[in-house]
Formats: sequence, C-alpha cells, structure tokens
Amino acid sequence: MSDRKITLEFNDKVVRQFMLASLIWGAVGMVVGVLIAAQLNFWQLNFGTSWLTWSRLRPLHTNAVIFALVGNMMFAGVYYSTQRLVKARLASDFLSSLHFWGWQAIILAAAITLPLGLTRGKEYAELIWPINVAVTLIWVVFAVNFFWTLAKRREPSLYVAIWFYISTIITIAVLYIVNHLSIPTSFTHSYPVFAGVQDALVQWWYGHNAVAFFLTTPILGIMYYFVPKAAERPVYSYRLSVIHFWSLVFLYIWAGPHHLLNTALPGWLQNLGMTFSLMLWAPSWGGMLNGLLTLRGAWHKLRTDPVLKFFAAAVTFYGMATFEGPLLSIKSVSALAHYTDWIIGHVHAGALGWNGFMTAGMIYWLLPRLWNKPLYSPSLANLHFWLGTVGILLYVAAMWVSGITQGLMLNATTEGGTILAYPNFLDTLNTIRPLMLMRVIGGGLYLGGWLLMAYNVWQTLRGAVPVNGSIEVFEDESGHAQPRAMGLVGSFLNPPVLFSVFGVAFACVWMFGSDFISIAGLVGTMVCVVLAYAHYESRGKKWGDWYDRLLISTLPFTVLTFLAIIAGGLIQIIPTVVAHNAASTEDRKQVPYTPLELAGRDLYVRDGCYLCHSQMIRTLVPDVLRYGDYSRLGESIYDHPFQWGSKRNGPDLARVGGKYPNIWHLRHMEDPRSISVGSNMPSFAWLLTRPLDTSTLVRKISVQRTLGVPYPNWTPEQIMARVDTQAQAIAADLKTAGASVAPDKEIIALIAYLQQMGRFEAVSPAQPGATK
Amino acid sequence: MFKRLVLEDSATLFTLVAFITAVSFFVTISWRALRMKRPQLARFENLPFATETPAARHDTDA
Repeated sequence: MSDRKITLEFNDKVVRQFMLASLIWGAVGMVVGVLIAAQLNFWQLNFGTSWLTWSRLRPLHTNAVIFALVGNMMFAGVYYSTQRLVKARLASDFLSSLHFWGWQAIILAAAITLPLGLTRGKEYAELIWPINVAVTLIWVVFAVNFFWTLAKRREPSLYVAIWFYISTIITIAVLYIVNHLSIPTSFTHSYPVFAGVQDALVQWWYGHNAVAFFLTTPILGIMYYFVPKAAERPVYSYRLSVIHFWSLVFLYIWAGPHHLLNTALPGWLQNLGMTFSLMLWAPSWGGMLNGLLTLRGAWHKLRTDPVLKFFAAAVTFYGMATFEGPLLSIKSVSALAHYTDWIIGHVHAGALGWNGFMTAGMIYWLLPRLWNKPLYSPSLANLHFWLGTVGILLYVAAMWVSGITQGLMLNATTEGGTILAYPNFLDTLNTIRPLMLMRVIGGGLYLGGWLLMAYNVWQTLRGAVPVNGSIEVFEDESGHAQPRAMGLVGSFLNPPVLFSVFGVAFACVWMFGSDFISIAGLVGTMVCVVLAYAHYESRGKKWGDWYDRLLISTLPFTVLTFLAIIAGGLIQIIPTVVAHNAASTEDRKQVPYTPLELAGRDLYVRDGCYLCHSQMIRTLVPDVLRYGDYSRLGESIYDHPFQWGSKRNGPDLARVGGKYPNIWHLRHMEDPRSISVGSNMPSFAWLLTRPLDTSTLVRKISVQRTLGVPYPNWTPEQIMARVDTQAQAIAADLKTAGASVAPDKEIIALIAYLQQMGRFEAVSPAQPGATK
Repeated sequence: MFKRLVLEDSATLFTLVAFITAVSFFVTISWRALRMKRPQLARFENLPFATETPAARHDTDA
C-alpha cells in the first residue's frame, strides 16, 4: 500500500444545486398550498378556469412539496453526508448532473401536466405514465451513483445514516414501480392494472410508505448526520439507532391499511394495518429520543443558533406526528377522524414541522460551508423559525378543531341513534369556515418564513464563491477498505440466513398447506427452530461475526433491507390479489360502465372530483344513515383506478345515482351555489361547453377488457352508437327540464357517470371454504 | 389456497403470526444491538466527525 497522500475533493456542486432547487420549488409548492387553502374559504379564487381549480391544483401542491421540496433536499443531504461518511467523492459527475437535471425536468413536467388535468387519479401517484418512466430512470441513476460511491469508499463501516439511505432507495423503487403499473390508452392517459379493493390496498401500501421512505427514512438519515454535526456531539445512543432502524423499516410497510379502516377492505387487512401502525409508535419515538437527546449538553446553543432551533423543533414535531399517527390508526378513532381535517392537520404537523424544519436547518447549516461565507442575517433566520413555528401551531390547531368538529357533527345522531343530528353536510362546512381561514393564516405565516430564508440565502450568495469540501486520503485506498466484507456467496450462505429462510419456508407450508403437508410444515418449522438454537449455542461466535461483518458489507445489508420491506407487501397484497376479486365478492358486484359512463368517469378523475368526494360508505351507522347502505367490496371491483376517496370536503357520492334529476347535476356543475347555498365547491362550467373527446374511447374499452372488466367484444361502431344513444337521451331529458345542451358536451358524459353511482348486480356471496 | 385465511374466522391467525414475527424480529435486533461492544460503538458514533468540515468558523453561535 502506498504511503502517498492525495487531496480528495468532494462533489459539492450537485449538493448546492439540489439545495437551491429545494428552496425554490418549496416556495412554489407552498404558494400553491396557501392558494388552495384560501380557495376552500373563497371559491372565487378558482377564477372559473379549469387549470386553477382546487381539484387540479391540490395534486400540484402535494407533488411539489413531496417530490420537489423534500426530494431535492433529500438528494442534497444524501450526497453531502454520504461522501463524507464513506470518504469518497461521488462516483460519477455525469450521473450526478443527470440526476439533478433529470429530476428538475420531471418536476417541470408535473407542473405543466397536472393543472391541465393529465392525471392517473391516484394520490401522490398522479403523474402520467411517460413521467413515471422518467422518474424510474432517474431513480436508477441515483441508485447507481449512490451504490457505486459506496463501492469506492475508503471507510469500511456503514454509518446508520447510510442504512437509512439504502432502505430509501430500495423501497421507493419497489413501491413506485408496483403502484404505477398501468396500461396506456394514449400518450397522456393510462389505467392502473389494479382495481377496486386491490387498487385501494396497493395505493395506500404505496401512499403510506411514500411517507415512510420518502418523507421519513432519508430525513432520519439526514438527522443522524446533521444533528450531531450541528451540536458537535455524537448521536446519543448508537445502539438505539440500530434498533430504531430495523424495527422502523420492518414495521412501516404493513401500515398502509390504516388509511382504509371501516371501509370495504377485508377485516384481516384492517387488523394488520391497525396493529402494525400501533407498534410503529415505538421505533418512531426511539428515533425522536435519539435525535433530541443528542442535544444534551448543547441545549444552551438553542438560544442563539437557528440551526439547532430548527432541528430540535423538527424532531419534536416528528415525535408529535408519530404519536398522532398510531392514535389515528385505531379503528374507533379513525371512525371519527377519517375523511376530516384532522388527517390534514396530522399530515401538516409532519410535513411543515419535520420535513420543512429539517430542510431549513440543513440549508442554514450548509450555506456557510458550501459558499465559504457567513450567513447574511442570523436574526432573520431566527425570525423565520418563530414565524414558521407560530404558523404550524395555528395550522395544526385549526385543523384539529375543524376535524374533530366535522367528525362529531357528521357522526351525531338523535332519537336513539336513528336520525342524523346534522342531516345537511353544509352544516359542518359553515361551522368550520373560521378554522379554515385560520389555516390559511397559519400556512401564510409559514410561507412568509420560508421566503425570509430565500431572501437570506440570496443575500448570502451575493459575491460568494462556492467551495468544495476535501480530505486527505492515501492514494490507493479506494475500494480496498473492506477486507472482511461479505461477498456474494457469504451474503447468502451463512447460518442466520439459511435457518431463517428454511424456517420461513416451512412456516408457509404449515400455514397454507392442507392435511399431511401442513403437518410436515409444522414439523419442519420446529426442527429449524431447534437446530438454529443448538447451532447458536455451540457456534455463537459465527452468528456474532456474521452480524459484525454485515455492518461493513453493502450487498448483504441491502438484501436484508429488501427482505425486511418486502415481507409486509407480499403478505398483504398477494392474498388480496388472489382472493379478493370479482369471483369471490360479498352479495353485490359492480356492473361495468357503459361507454358514455366510462368517458364521464374519466372526466371525474381528470378534474379531481375524487379529492373532495369519497365513494365509500363505511360500516358505521352515521355513514349508512347519511349516504345509504354501506359499500360492498364487489361494488367497485372493476374500478381502474379505485374511487374510494380519502377526504370529504363534500358529501360521499357512492349512492348519489338516481337521487337527483339530470338538471340538478347540470346546475350543480355550472354553479354549485345555485343548488347548495353556501357551498365552497368550484364551478365546473366549462363542462357545458367543451366537446367530449371520444377519440380514445375504443382503446380505453379495449384496455379495460384486457384488465378483466367483462365488456363484450363491441366494434368501434357499436361503442359510438351506444355513446350516441345514451347521450341523446340525457340531452333530451335536460331539454324538457329547460336546459339546452348538445349531446356531445362533456357534462352529458359526467351526468351519465354520476347517475349510475350505486348501481350493482346482486350475486350469491362466496361461501366459506370455496376456493378461487 | 387461501381459504383458511380469508373466508373463515381463523383469519385472526394471520394477525397473530404477523405480530409474533414482528416481535421476534425486534427482540433479535435488540439483542444484537445490546451486545455491541463499546469500542465498536464509539467508532460508529464518531464517523460524522472523521472528516473536517470547512468554514466552521462561520457558525452563527461562534
């Protein structure tokens, strides 16, 4: 080995780029957030244009703050800390640059397509399929760049932050690909391969774990690096960080069903989601305590250092949100909170408190180090902190009160529980209006703080020269620092792995087999457990040695992380896909949409109606009293994508079909306040003048048939004839009611869709013991 | 294949097995973490400080 030392310069250019991108896109995302909050109070702020309507802008807000603000911040933090933790420059300047510019191009594409109504209709997964392909490619670029850097590292040990980054990269890839599996119908539209309850489960397996592995784990990794650096103290307990990491990564995946409690999701899945969400409280608070207690001995610095203020507050809000989450996952609490503003309050405590404040702290800490110039104004940074904190508290408190009020009012009954106390949905809206305004003010204060940071950064950068960090290293050390690392064979052929694999395999045979095979599985499981214990007792050192080598070996560590995260997904999704399908529903099955109704439903998805209106009457008395019989699993079994919804800004629509005449729906879309006085629903008047685009309808029905929807093999002429006949009938009915609308307008298709809601085919329920 | 788990009351077995698995996982990891040696822990804890960070003189509380 050579004794010559060289200076290794880190690639901090890409860190600076991602950091500034996070700052700018964060401002954009928050401006949209304040606008849509204001629109809920003042419907006029929709401006009567489709691309500024609340339901088109809400996905823009969520995508911007998740993927643009947090995404860019995450990449900045990962690249900065990883290079220093592994003592290696990023493997490829080209991949780093491609990663940055590719990600910004994706964000720009999202900013253009979402207001235009180009959407997949699934929350946090709205982007159309060509952009999905781009996201996947750029994520692969990120993964290659990251793992290649690890392969070239000079530091053999993998610090806990690196573990969090590994788990993020692996899990997001799995989640994103599975939830975005679709069949295109055109360049700008596709249908997801899953439908109904399957789509609901996959969507929230993805949705909750987008929170877990995009908004939490990489930021925890960033916490484990930047908080010790800012406090100039090592992490409080490395032991706790090990336990925290593995239990968090294993448990989080199972929590998805807590978004679907009391719905038509099968009971076993709801129980799994609830149980694992409750267990998740422990590792989450382990992380919180580790982060906060790292500041022991440095609390006095909080008085003057805005960075530590932001970090301490961020970790505290993390703890708050991760207590509230498990609480909300209890079925009886969810019965009150689901579909209300309490969920919005919970989300924003985490998003503004944890993600936003970690971003701000990281930016303020990195700024002087990346540009070799002191922060322009620490006083402004402190003001930013207080503005942001007050903003969050106003926002969250408003949403807590609003949500609980909504829940209590909507669930309130009288006359011994037989009549709703507040039968008019608008009663709740009028009650919570002041609280929604408080939310606008809170969000506005938070945005104000963010803009102060932008100003502070701009003033700091004026005249500053960017600098890259560097260290001295031995010349030929790269890639040779892992003499005891496990290779490919050692990763898989070792006692802990072999005993675990065989034990799990026998356990599966025991659970899923019948009669003799099941007994063989039970015996095999018991033998594995006994042999593993005996081996451990006699050769314990080998097990300990395996674990120690795991801490310096990227490949087996990555594989083990993959196994930890895949278990929950497989166990929840496979039985749902195999068993909960059209052949084994309860007593009702969905009747496939007519071609016109399908076109109308796609307009419903395009204009984001599902963001305000659910289509899932829960198995709760108040829901049934208000909306009709509870929704069966089979009633949405052919819905690609599912429309169960996650928020009720307006009433549930599952059984609205036939409740009102066609003219009611037309007037309601044209001017909601002419029908529902005091409504905050935007006007959708353009539906009355825009012609319905049927050019892709034939292809759409073909794709639906491919996905298993039992459409007959109609010719294109038959499809268009059906469209024409039904449209003419609706237009004629509207004309007799006093509204003259041509049958080829979009509103006709939407009315057709709305009027079929609640239609089903009665079937014999699947019997216990029946197999697919 | 999934008849026992989906359409019968024994579906509760699923939750129980998942819980036992999670607890086993947690206990195993905790055991390993508690058995880590002090020098090893100290080494890992100080990894963020192994590289000098330039411009520390610009820290706001200096």
